[in-house]
Amino acid sequence: MALITMKDLDINYKLKSRTVRAVRGFTLSIDEGDIVGIIGESGSGKSTLAHGLMRILPENGYMEASEIVLNGRDISRISDAEFRELRWVEVSIVFQKAMSALSPVHKIFDQMYDTILSHKPATRKEDAEKLLTKLFSVVNLPAKALSMYPHELSGGMMQRIMISLGLVFNPKLVILDEVTTALDVITQGQLLDEIKRLVREFRLTAIMITHDIGTVNELCNKVAIMYAGELLEYGEVEDVIFNPFNPYTKALVKSHPDLNPHGMGLRGIPGTLPDLSNPPEACVFYERCPYRKDICAKEKPKLIDYAGRKVKCLRVGELS
Amino acid sequence: MSTEMLKVKNLVKYFPVRKIGKKQYVKAVDDLTFSIKTGEIFGVLGESGCGKTTLGRVINRLEMEQSGEIQFLGQSISGREYKEDKYFRRKMQMIFQNPYDSFDPRYMIYKSMDLPMKINMVGIDQKRRLEKILETMNHAKLTPAESLLTRYPHELSGGQLQRISILRSMLLNPRFVVADECVSMLDVSVRADVLNLLLQVHKELDSSMLFITHDISVATYICDTIMVLYAGKIMEIGSSNDILNSPLHPYSKALVSYSPTIRKGEKERFRITGEVVTPIDPPPGCRFASRCPVAKEKCTVEEPKLRTIDNNRQVACHFV
Repeated sequence: MALITMKDLDINYKLKSRTVRAVRGFTLSIDEGDIVGIIGESGSGKSTLAHGLMRILPENGYMEASEIVLNGRDISRISDAEFRELRWVEVSIVFQKAMSALSPVHKIFDQMYDTILSHKPATRKEDAEKLLTKLFSVVNLPAKALSMYPHELSGGMMQRIMISLGLVFNPKLVILDEVTTALDVITQGQLLDEIKRLVREFRLTAIMITHDIGTVNELCNKVAIMYAGELLEYGEVEDVIFNPFNPYTKALVKSHPDLNPHGMGLRGIPGTLPDLSNPPEACVFYERCPYRKDICAKEKPKLIDYAGRKVKCLRVGELS
Repeated sequence: MSTEMLKVKNLVKYFPVRKIGKKQYVKAVDDLTFSIKTGEIFGVLGESGCGKTTLGRVINRLEMEQSGEIQFLGQSISGREYKEDKYFRRKMQMIFQNPYDSFDPRYMIYKSMDLPMKINMVGIDQKRRLEKILETMNHAKLTPAESLLTRYPHELSGGQLQRISILRSMLLNPRFVVADECVSMLDVSVRADVLNLLLQVHKELDSSMLFITHDISVATYICDTIMVLYAGKIMEIGSSNDILNSPLHPYSKALVSYSPTIRKGEKERFRITGEVVTPIDPPPGCRFASRCPVAKEKCTVEEPKLRTIDNNRQVACHFV
């Protein structure tokens, strides 16, 4: 069953002289229990999408959608006050930079208690402590971290705190925004293992925003490929990464050094992202696509169901 | 190929910790001995705080060592700062992680490329120097070269600027290049091209390189030999394929098993606990002992020496 369905989601940033169309026509439905990786390079709109879903866009950011159904309820048209009731209770987010997400001048317990109070003002301190101690043991944190300040903790520990903060109300959907990116390799691996376990234990649905295909391969079961604000391919990780259909996905996988033997076979993608204040009318990847044909410059491809996944490419029949 | 370009013997670099009363040191680089052959790309792999950047800076004379000896092209360069020694600077160059920091924002790219040659008196006059710059850029397919030269750093993308910074370091035909995390900032699709450019110019100049990275897939792609560092000590040295496919040291095993990859199927983790230690006055014995799953009593008492196993394979562990 679909937990969240987004239809024709657009996010624009209004600048002085132009409008940057960061996310365009994003349509995706995520099933309960899935761990979906959203892969994109910088400027692909993946973080903007996450922030849009949480309604925490900067002031010049505007989101429009024909519908966003979360848990059976259309949340695209509810007021900010109504959304505030949902935020953190039904959907929460874990940020990349735990260091800047936590207040440096409050003890961990105090700032986490604050979050709890904002939704359940009647919570007693002892109960909050009990709850947080339990959560901490789940994410492998010592209980004494509650009485510490952020600067006393390592990057991995802070990220675990952010994750446990995201789980405080046992939400259905958790968005993980590049949570392992700034961490060391081993800490990153340990955290990925833990997230996998948490998703099962808490019956979560997770969206993992990342630029690293390896992370998605280890953590997720579905993957969405974003480029220049559009969704280009969506399906099972096994299918999309090991047998990509869309030319961008193909190129992306090829440019990953992975654990390739030495020196051979790595290919970059020449060219740069299109200007998103004036995105191309037709295919967004046309300029850089090695498989392009004349028709690709004229006609806009639609996201179609193809061989058990969703692909956006006019030539998908020939290329897959 | 067999001649040694750089020899490092018992290299030590400590940083004092600012503390009143007791004097303490961060043992960033502690007694390292290794050598780099002509034409070799020598990878330094490790997590944050392992001393890999310090090592690069000491070799490049940006920091002075505490003790130990460095031989470069058969001559000892330890104990000298080489600030004014143009001959030395021509022979040894550095590529930094963030290209936006390594270019003067107020200089046109042309000026940043021309100055090093002018100062080192490479090329007879401005016209010849410009010819050489254009030739190098065109050869590296960085086009249109003329128009790129008239830009300022902020007008270029990170990938373009990093490629220019690689070419700039090569203009003086150096014998040795220290590349410090030079692709970590870049998107995968761009990273591939930068790595390939690095390989190409390296091959053409037959220079040697110290390639510092935390990413094992990048390291195995580009390096001939990999040295694994942990908390200022060498854990293992071996060919990149050996380190990747059959790591011997427990730390290398963990590092390889925790790196996210795009290989099919579930990977067996070589589980370790804890986080990277900062080497402030470390206890005797092996630096990795506190986290090592196979550590015995001996490991906390006696420090393992770097032993040669076979085929230029060296490991510092009692139980290999």
